[in-house]
Amino acid sequence: MRYDVTVIGGGPAGLAAALAADKEGAKVLLIERERKLGGILKQCIHDGFGLMTFGEKLSGPEYSERFIDKVLASGIEKKLLTFVTKIKKVKNEFVIYYVNREGAGHIRTKALVLATGCRERTAKQVFIHGTRPSGIYTAGTAQYYVNLMGEMPVKRCVILGSGDIGLIMARRLTLEGAEVLGVYEAKPTPSGLTRNIHQCLRDFDIPLYLSHTVTRVFGDDRLTGVEVMKVDENMEPIPGTEERIECDGLILSVGLIPENELAESLDVPIDERTRGPVCDQEYMSEAEGIFCAGNALHVNDLVDYVTENAWAAGKNSAHYEKKERILISVLPGEGTSYVVPERLNLSAPLNNVTMYFRSAREMRNAKLKIKIDGKTVFEKKYQVVRPPEMERLQIDFSGFSIRKNQTVKIILEEA
Amino acid sequence: MSSFKSKVKKIKALSPDIEVTEERGCIVLRGEVDNWETVVKAGRLAVDRKKYYGVINDIQLKGYQPKEKLPSEKDKLYDGARPDVLIIGGGLTGCAAARELSRYRLDIMLVEKGADVAAGQSSRNGGAVHVGINYSPSSQKNYFNYRGNIMYSRLEKELDFPFERTGHLMLIGAKWEKILPKLLVMNSKRLHIPGVRYLNREQLLKIEPYAPSWAYGALYMPTGGFTSPYKVNVALAENAVTNGAKICLNTAVLDMETKDGKIYSVKTNRGTIYPKLVINAAGVYADVIAEMAGDRTFTIHPRKGTDIILDKKVGKYIRTTEVKSPITVLGDGKKLGAAERIKMIKFALSHENTSKGIAVIHTVDKNMIVGPDVQEIPDREDVTTDRETTDRILREQMQVAEKIKPSDVIAYFAGVRAPTYEEDFQVRKGIFCKNILEAAGIQSPGATAAPAIGVKLARWAVDYLKETGPVERNRAFNPRRKGTPHLASLSEKERDALIKKNPDYGEIVCRCEEISKGEILDVLRSPLPVYTLDAVKRRCRPGMGRCQGGFCSPLVVQILAKEWGCSVEDIKKNTKESRILFRRTKEAGK
Repeated sequence: MRYDVTVIGGGPAGLAAALAADKEGAKVLLIERERKLGGILKQCIHDGFGLMTFGEKLSGPEYSERFIDKVLASGIEKKLLTFVTKIKKVKNEFVIYYVNREGAGHIRTKALVLATGCRERTAKQVFIHGTRPSGIYTAGTAQYYVNLMGEMPVKRCVILGSGDIGLIMARRLTLEGAEVLGVYEAKPTPSGLTRNIHQCLRDFDIPLYLSHTVTRVFGDDRLTGVEVMKVDENMEPIPGTEERIECDGLILSVGLIPENELAESLDVPIDERTRGPVCDQEYMSEAEGIFCAGNALHVNDLVDYVTENAWAAGKNSAHYEKKERILISVLPGEGTSYVVPERLNLSAPLNNVTMYFRSAREMRNAKLKIKIDGKTVFEKKYQVVRPPEMERLQIDFSGFSIRKNQTVKIILEEA
Repeated sequence: MSSFKSKVKKIKALSPDIEVTEERGCIVLRGEVDNWETVVKAGRLAVDRKKYYGVINDIQLKGYQPKEKLPSEKDKLYDGARPDVLIIGGGLTGCAAARELSRYRLDIMLVEKGADVAAGQSSRNGGAVHVGINYSPSSQKNYFNYRGNIMYSRLEKELDFPFERTGHLMLIGAKWEKILPKLLVMNSKRLHIPGVRYLNREQLLKIEPYAPSWAYGALYMPTGGFTSPYKVNVALAENAVTNGAKICLNTAVLDMETKDGKIYSVKTNRGTIYPKLVINAAGVYADVIAEMAGDRTFTIHPRKGTDIILDKKVGKYIRTTEVKSPITVLGDGKKLGAAERIKMIKFALSHENTSKGIAVIHTVDKNMIVGPDVQEIPDREDVTTDRETTDRILREQMQVAEKIKPSDVIAYFAGVRAPTYEEDFQVRKGIFCKNILEAAGIQSPGATAAPAIGVKLARWAVDYLKETGPVERNRAFNPRRKGTPHLASLSEKERDALIKKNPDYGEIVCRCEEISKGEILDVLRSPLPVYTLDAVKRRCRPGMGRCQGGFCSPLVVQILAKEWGCSVEDIKKNTKESRILFRRTKEAGK
């Protein structure tokens, strides 16, 4: 079989990308490895999704439902419970190899949208040591047990990391009768959204300990306790501050990593900062014909941004034709930690470029500057910028007469 | 002064609180000291291989209470069993012995206190199949490693486990260091190890294209390889079970009753067993078991090592197993004097040099392992890891594997080796107890040697049993064990054909390692049934990849529960107490 666009991943990004490509008249295939569409939203039963997209607060399943209904009503072909094992580029096409319960097969496609989401950082990646008992879960895994299986993985737990899923799980576990002793965050500021700090921790009297981390776990069978320590400004534990907390569970919410193993297998260049493919304003990676959307591109804090970027990626993928691109770099400068897209294609429209970026630290009365080869072409003031809260900006680059080999830099300065 | 007197003097100099005696052909140390280093040093000083059976080091560490982890099961499941052979320990040695014995029509019972076979050292090592180049020709290590290494080629085919004979490399950093490989080449000839030769840098790069920039040359040992030690262990166990052996998990030996220099009964947490013969393959507890039988002539001093597993992405930077030569000093452009050089070479060649040094190993699953280090510790079961150790190993090994970064680390683990103070294996018939065979002191290269040790133990066991009656060959013995298929390594066509037969092979459960539901079900239905998450993980890898089970463990828990017809809350990580889930949520419970 041949398709114009194949979307890999049936979460919010993949759903939007497939719908957008379909709307543009492309022949679309959507591949999802799980039995049901919706991705991680299936287990996000809390509300707060869709404020930007629909102007209402929906739960994760409700939000994805709106897209799934449209996909089901469309001409998009779907392969569910189907796992992509390998992708090869053959001439101007991609051959996608997959397996599912029917067998092993392959299809061909002109353009590819990678909407593969992200995975959670593990205990080993944050260098937790000690024994190897049961009772240590990433927040997403705990969420799966509680919300999809209806099972409690902990009775009395500590949460490491103040990422959003960790905060959501602090509330969820409390509501289900578990004791959440506290959320420990190695950074001096919380990693999750401010609204979640209020709604999930403060409203439930769950303490948040900043500049603290879990260094060790105890227990031969099931977890019996953890050791927490204060950390210094480099996030290194301060000797002498060890404290042992008796608990049977440790929930980790210590960051998400875009899943780009397929992209890497195709030698798609990856941005070290976002850990997603380097892409242009049409969300095409540096590899021709490979588009990227959602959390595989960079970790978003709102699903609405995922939908927005994925819609654009899907739409552009439908019109993909091989033609020469003139790519220039967009770099995160002083005060910013990353920017997406990382490239501008001067041969594509520049009049309505959406930029997503994060500040490197919390700043008040910040001024954003966009510089082209050192010359400021755009400025904007922000009352406050915080690393956990991604900023979004729409810019018309067409008036700046950007030339080949120039570099765009975005900078955040405290006023 | 007699050698005993001079030993006493040296040991007393360490601590006057140590009492040294000669008893039953052993040198015995008693007393109490306040640091573990002294205990180990005293044990080492007491060694005299010519004069004594071994060192019995019973020096206590002040304030230290050894605590053995025992399974919580308490029943009479095996009470009154009368096996011909009772094997204690389900590691590589015990399972190899069980398999070899299953060639005969015998009642074979293996007890393992862990929740799975390969619970100790056998699953906690890097998987190198050693060449055995620097062992003393008269040592048991040399005898069994040489034979075990050869056996791997046959076993790989019979038992269907992964094994690759890629060769091992010892890297040197300067011209003068060529002396060490040259001496070792001579040693290899003496030990009949084929193919060992020196490679210059150019030749080295052909074998190992990412050899470190400082590597001047290397000693190449083509008979070295790597395997998955726990897969070998499981394969041996399964084949033994298929051929009639009985494996009893969560079963710990608590005591023995001896009569007339023989073991009469063995008390376990699951009843008392009356074996004709006992094989002691108890790893770090081998001396405790030998003591129960009245046959102790040695002491196990736990030696911990930590290994680090790196992502498959960096697996390509190593094809073989590389170690930095023990005489190679990196950094600072340090110039060594002639005397220093000679001292280092002597040490490198001496049999005192018990550790082969931290290695960089390619694994059968295409990851990279670096480690292990060496730490003498009092606790036989301390498999905890710590940041300081993993940081140090990584820092050191980034010199050998120059392409790796700390962010490539996906997991780390520690294991405890079981050396005696003599630092050699103690594979022997009972000295003071007639119906026991000892397989003690099995540390590196134990994984390589185990199959050969199994052969020897089985032969002795059969000889012993023949004294009291005929022992028949097991005509139904099938040396072949088919492993479960690994679909990701098959071609599209082969894979398609298998899925058409069994659609479960097309349903991927573990995305990182590409493991299907069918492969997991195969593992659950293997000859040695699998009930725990860890046992599934070891056999077919869900949870071993970069997400460390985040995505797949809830799925595997559900597959296990469905297969065994129990609640998901009954599925454990490993032991009975290692619960994963506690209860239904409020809504779900109503």
